Amino acid sequence: MNSPQPPRWLKALLRWLHPGNTIEEVEGDLDELYAHAYLRYGESQAVLRYLVNVISVLPPFLRRRRNKSQYEQSFSLSPDMLKNYFKIAWRNIVRQKAYSVLNIAGLSIGMACSILILLWVQNELSYDRFHPRADQIFRLTCSAGDFRAAVSAAGMAPGLKSELPQIKNGVRISKWIHMLFEVGEKKVEEKRVIYADSNFLDFFSFPLLAGKKATALRDPGSILITEEMAIKYFGTSDAVGKTIRIDNKENFTVGGILANTPANSHLQFDCLIPMKTLARTSEDLQHNNWNNFIFYTYLQLDDKTAASAASRQNLIKQISSVFKAHGQTIKLDFELQALTDIHLHSNYQLDVAGHGNIQYVNIFFVIAIFILIVACINFMNLATARSERRAKEVGLRKVVGASRYQLIFQFLGESLIFSFLSLFIAIGIVFLLLPIFKILTEKSLTIHLLDGKLLLSLIGIAVLTGLLSGSYPALFLSGFAPVKVLKGKLRVAGGNLLFRNALVVMQFVVAIVLLVGTAVVYKQLDFIKKRNLGFDKSNLLYLPMNGDLWGKQQALKISLAQNQLTENFTVISALPTAVESGTVDVVWDGQIVPNQVVFPSLNVDENFINVFKTKVLAGRGFDKSFLGDSSNYMINEKAMQIMGMNIGNAVGKGLSLGEKKGTIIGVIKDFHFKSLQYAMEPLILQTNTWGGVVMVRTTAGNNEQTINALKKINQQLNPAFPFRFGFLDKDLDNLYRSEQQMGNIFNLFAGLAIFISCLGLYGLSAFMAEQRTKEIGVRKVLGASVTGVVGLLSQDFLKLILIAIIIASPIAWYAMQAWLQGFAYQITLEWWVIALAGILATAIALVTISFQSIRAALMNPVKSLRSE
Amino acid sequence: MGEFEELVLLMIAILDGDAYGVTVSQEIEQQTGRVVTFGAVHNTLIRLEEKGFVTSEMGGATAERGGRRKRLFKLTALGKTAITDIQQLRNKLWNLMPDPTLKLSGL
Repeated sequence: MNSPQPPRWLKALLRWLHPGNTIEEVEGDLDELYAHAYLRYGESQAVLRYLVNVISVLPPFLRRRRNKSQYEQSFSLSPDMLKNYFKIAWRNIVRQKAYSVLNIAGLSIGMACSILILLWVQNELSYDRFHPRADQIFRLTCSAGDFRAAVSAAGMAPGLKSELPQIKNGVRISKWIHMLFEVGEKKVEEKRVIYADSNFLDFFSFPLLAGKKATALRDPGSILITEEMAIKYFGTSDAVGKTIRIDNKENFTVGGILANTPANSHLQFDCLIPMKTLARTSEDLQHNNWNNFIFYTYLQLDDKTAASAASRQNLIKQISSVFKAHGQTIKLDFELQALTDIHLHSNYQLDVAGHGNIQYVNIFFVIAIFILIVACINFMNLATARSERRAKEVGLRKVVGASRYQLIFQFLGESLIFSFLSLFIAIGIVFLLLPIFKILTEKSLTIHLLDGKLLLSLIGIAVLTGLLSGSYPALFLSGFAPVKVLKGKLRVAGGNLLFRNALVVMQFVVAIVLLVGTAVVYKQLDFIKKRNLGFDKSNLLYLPMNGDLWGKQQALKISLAQNQLTENFTVISALPTAVESGTVDVVWDGQIVPNQVVFPSLNVDENFINVFKTKVLAGRGFDKSFLGDSSNYMINEKAMQIMGMNIGNAVGKGLSLGEKKGTIIGVIKDFHFKSLQYAMEPLILQTNTWGGVVMVRTTAGNNEQTINALKKINQQLNPAFPFRFGFLDKDLDNLYRSEQQMGNIFNLFAGLAIFISCLGLYGLSAFMAEQRTKEIGVRKVLGASVTGVVGLLSQDFLKLILIAIIIASPIAWYAMQAWLQGFAYQITLEWWVIALAGILATAIALVTISFQSIRAALMNPVKSLRSE
Repeated sequence: MGEFEELVLLMIAILDGDAYGVTVSQEIEQQTGRVVTFGAVHNTLIRLEEKGFVTSEMGGATAERGGRRKRLFKLTALGKTAITDIQQLRNKLWNLMPDPTLKLSGL
């Protein structure tokens, strides 16, 4: 050695404790200084100085050089590197076309589904939130026991407002009423007409486009119509002051033009008529009665009460006592339902038609997320499965100095490119599918791309998808040891395979659960539609009475009886799709405590039992020949049980409904007169002195002629009103419309989820077959059959699907059981439904795999073995 | 800037491209007679670089150093203005000083 060396142990200490990024220059400098001191002052002095110097560059005395400045700048963000990343990503996409198409197709279909579902969910959640005072407005509902109703009495809104200071304001609206509108030659029956209190427009925030807001709902002879209606009748939205003849009786003046009701309002109306108009004929309104529940009452509470559940509870108690103070004896449970809850959380009877269901919103939200996850899993699986192809790149990058973070950044970036590409395609798909989806959901969904919130959430979805799907490949690929990779010794690690398998299992769990869901929803709906309602619902044609028919009931009956086609008819007060009237004012022989159960009632005539084909279990039906029948009653089995009677002793007992005293003359077999979502309720039948609906039983094949016959009768007796008719079975099916809709959407998305899973499986099986080309070649040379090879390639996947079935079964069972709870009449969930879903999933998967496995098995071994 | 930092900065300027840990500490020892630990110089160099007065690059490996490279320091434009500013300030203050004060202090 030509230069003196400092003690080794000190050098070792220095190397051990001094940070790596400055050790080179420091060690060199210290050596130089040592050599210098050695020459000038001798060894001991030099060692001493060296010691002091070493200590001075050890922690804690040392100032560390920050790494950043050691190299030029962070590589990953320099423009050159970014350019390179894009180039590599683009090359990968272009070179492996099949793989890219699979990936992008899966991701974009998944995203499109999620976007569609989220649009729908967002629409459902937005109901009634456009009212500025939405937080303060509550609807008062009155329930008697199990009979939960959305309605309230006329006196409640004004009475409660004047007596309780927490209630700042109140408004009443009537039920939806059908009216015949007549303008010039145009005659249309309008179905969305309501009476509303004069403060309706101020209370809510439905804008008035023309007319005076303050007086619009005050004048009894005026009517407010929406812009759409104005254009429909007058061809212009400037219709204030024009006249509409209603029900061929009275002329109304258009007092104002309303903006069309927003689609996300639970109150959907075309016309508003001042409550004063109704008050001219309604005793309830004249006396502000508290005992007839036929209005909807909305209350505006003060901020404090609206915000706290406890003070609302307190208010409900006060409402109850005010109700009692008004001399009411019925036990009612009042509830204050938040305006924003009405659309999704309402399960009341007699509610405004067409509300949603929070359960479906939740279910679909979860499905949207699942579909996205399934698509992400595809991406992860394909990316890791093909990792070998990129292993060399990773190795080389590492050798020339890429850190792990840079690689993670690169791969995440690549998956983000994929996800944004998919997002663009997904938006295209959404635009294409939106019209179909609108028909399916019967909603006016729109997508405004320039809306900041939407744009943000779309980008959010893309980023989330990109990060989620890129995370595993990024972590996995960046972890390769360069030496091993470049030597070509990369073995796909067991952990990676396990993870990939777990992902495939998860995909199929989702698919199977959705399949089971589809089957159960379909079966349940089918069950409900085919359920024996207790009467024969086919070939029942109805003609609702309107206009002059009310006054000409005798003539109507005579004409009906004269025609052979229509002679089999009955007049009932309400259709058995929704019997709305009911009362607790029921007294019967042997009653111990005052009745608190709501008894719906139906007015029928003596033909009812024959026309509806129901059964009388005891006693007899109504009969013309018994003169006293106008004060007699029939009850159904359920009512009989509630009254504590039995088939043997019910007939002949006294029963009074309100003021009317009478006797039970017969017990009728239970039949459904409401949606099957509700359990059987008690029913009291009385003779019809009022009118309502004419039901005609036609014979199969004669429907058209019967309709014509009815039309003719209507023309003769009721020329001013257009003829209207309906089939009862269609109306009954319509009761389950929202369920049917949900079922359809569910089917669609279950199908798509399975399709996306299959895309992934297809890619994976293609990859597997490719990897095992040589193995298959050798096997074939040695005499393996095609079926044997196909079986070999399929069995790995089959195992995974079996595991998926095992995991999915309890989940599906539990989920569907929860959904079925919402129906009073439900199918029992049978094991074979789950088995069938499992078999179906397996079959679909096998078919998917077979494309690749059969091709691989048929390949000529000479070809596959030659290339080496 | 501290006094020692200023000193090191001046040394780097004097050494003109040949400044690294060894030369700087030797220069300080030679010019001021102060014996400083290597660590003090090392830390100051890093601090000066963080403040942007100097830049550094690796280079100039010699056999004497066992083939290890030196970290050579160079003044940046900011560093140059910093020392000229200090110099100007000093001159200005010296010029403001009345003569007797200087005499008294024996300078």
